Amino acid sequence: MNVCRKPNLAHFAVTIIGKDRTGIVADTSEVLYKLGCNVEDSSCTMLGGEFAMILIVSHEKPFSKKKLEAEFAEKNAGNGLSAFIRTLKDDEICYREPVGELCLVSVYGSDKPGIVYRVTREFADRGVNITDLNTKLIGSPKDPVYVLVLEAALPAGMSVEDATALLENLKKELSVEISVRLITPVSF
Amino acid sequence: MAVKPIVTYPDPVLKAVCTPVDAVETVSQLIEDLVDTMRAGPGSVGVAAPQIGVPVRVCVIDVSKNRHGKDNNHGLLLMINPEILARSGNSVMREGCMSVPDYTGDVERATEVTLRFTEPDGGVREFEATGFEAVAIQHEMDHLDGMLFLDRISSLKTGLFRRKSYK
Repeated sequence: MNVCRKPNLAHFAVTIIGKDRTGIVADTSEVLYKLGCNVEDSSCTMLGGEFAMILIVSHEKPFSKKKLEAEFAEKNAGNGLSAFIRTLKDDEICYREPVGELCLVSVYGSDKPGIVYRVTREFADRGVNITDLNTKLIGSPKDPVYVLVLEAALPAGMSVEDATALLENLKKELSVEISVRLITPVSF
Repeated sequence: MAVKPIVTYPDPVLKAVCTPVDAVETVSQLIEDLVDTMRAGPGSVGVAAPQIGVPVRVCVIDVSKNRHGKDNNHGLLLMINPEILARSGNSVMREGCMSVPDYTGDVERATEVTLRFTEPDGGVREFEATGFEAVAIQHEMDHLDGMLFLDRISSLKTGLFRRKSYK
């Protein structure tokens, strides 16, 4: 299904990042609320000691990016948060829902360069679309372990077994464990 | 045949605790409508009465045509006043719901449930359901108590790992 936003709205991608503390979300959403913006979609998380917010916001046209930038500049002056704002074109605010299976891939093993790159390159070359990705460095400083978890939409016709086979060689080459499981949602 | 429109949130009927059925003959048409509506929904494996706007304790389930349920099911279940007598095990599945379009979330459910319900002919049936059928039963029965899968989401997608503390 093709999902399109309302044409009477201007859309912006807003990225906020800074040293974690209480109140980052409240401060950011206060700015948006007072300007009359809607948060259409968002994902916010702690990364290291930072807190990162990525939001798609909308406002009734006409509305300029400058207004958003000015408000954030004022709110964030001296508080260590940086804001980046980009205007989204109409064709950027439509997305096509995946047609194939959705799968969750776990990759983990002793830390080494190239884990993210090799796995995602393999997928990219086969038309597998990553929809969510998360990495963590765990273990001890002596034995660091890298964990990569991603969700991906497989192209039509590709099974979870096919996706597993695709990554089989990387297991040996990178000495990592890789498992792929089906998480295509069930609708009741 | 009467395929009914599926009620979507925020219709308050979806948050209502449904009324028990006193006489089975009063719900025969409702059960027919629920089955027709389920059969008409693409890939639907169950519909509860509040999902077609009727707040009574009736739901229908059939997982036999679903890939997760085709090898382990009790066929078409027409359930009046269903009760779960026991539950055990747990597993997580990403669920969606016709009454909450465009959203899915990971929900933890029991993997085995002992179920008792009244059938349209008045007979009482009791059995154990497992696997996907058990998940479907819990999802549909939640509707009878005004519970949506949104009330049971067990994790954010990013909540897979316990976070390190950064001090």
